Amino acid sequence: MGSIEERIASLGYTLPDAAAPVANYVSTVSVEGAGLVFTSGHVPRNADGSFVTGRLGDDLTIEQGYEAARNVGLALLASLKVELGDLDRVSRVVKVLCMVNCTSDFADQPAVANGASDLMVEVFGDKGRHARSAVGMGSLPANVPVEVEMVVEVS
Amino acid sequence: MGSRLHGNDDKTQEEQLSTPEERLEELGIELPRPQRPVANYVSAVETGGLFFAAGAGPPPGPDGAIPSGKVGLDFTVEEGYEHARSVGLVQIARLKDELGDLGRVKRIVKLLAMVNCPPDFDQHPAVVNGCSDLLVEVFGDAGRHARSAVGMSSLPFEIPVEIEMIVEVAG
Repeated sequence: MGSIEERIASLGYTLPDAAAPVANYVSTVSVEGAGLVFTSGHVPRNADGSFVTGRLGDDLTIEQGYEAARNVGLALLASLKVELGDLDRVSRVVKVLCMVNCTSDFADQPAVANGASDLMVEVFGDKGRHARSAVGMGSLPANVPVEVEMVVEVS
Repeated sequence: MGSRLHGNDDKTQEEQLSTPEERLEELGIELPRPQRPVANYVSAVETGGLFFAAGAGPPPGPDGAIPSGKVGLDFTVEEGYEHARSVGLVQIARLKDELGDLGRVKRIVKLLAMVNCPPDFDQHPAVVNGCSDLLVEVFGDAGRHARSAVGMSSLPFEIPVEIEMIVEVAG
């Protein structure tokens, strides 16, 4: 087990099973020439594999949104582990786009996105500090509360 | 039209010899005419082996009008799929226009696919598959990309779908 995975375990987190998409796309694409990995938008799932659902500003609290964003962060790490073999190869989390399913008057997207951002810094330390956009969406697939995509630099 | 130098081992020899341009011809697809933005931005920027394409919408229909409306309200999911496919054609036309040869495409890396839809719509992936399926039809395994499929409360000119794209290109 690499040192990043040891840190994930010591933090009390468990990576979910990385599920491959069923349509004509993939979870991650490596661009070796650029040293970057681009991920698909990932969404939160419950332990039984069902989607976490709900809308911020409607039927979910900010805390629930934060938890959902952290849940997605763990799913992103699981996909990156499949792509890279070892999460120790991540040299920097470059960019996070966090899309929040919310009502049009909801304004706390950053507080929700922090669920993913805090996880990256807990896991990767300073290498986990990333550029980020946190935005509100009119709707998301299957009514999930948050969808997050990421660009990471790898060595 | 040269054969591709970066064919995937999984492909049959016949597929390896077929260029994206030939694939388009086999599929009976004619690319729309690329249109350039009229404001202070550009259709695409190539840097460091990556090609970043601006968000594009569907091309004008036979009547010259750009499709407008929300998926799940004005358009069915199936119609949304067709619109997403036509946006894919616009992006391929841009690639052809900017790169000259679609054989320079090493990999379709990433799509951000934005569906204009009401707040209770939840079938974004089924819409976005229209673009994803096209890219795999035309580019084979090199067309398999990462993507995000999301719902917007509005899009410019009320277009039903807007898609931006990142492509890895050969020098």
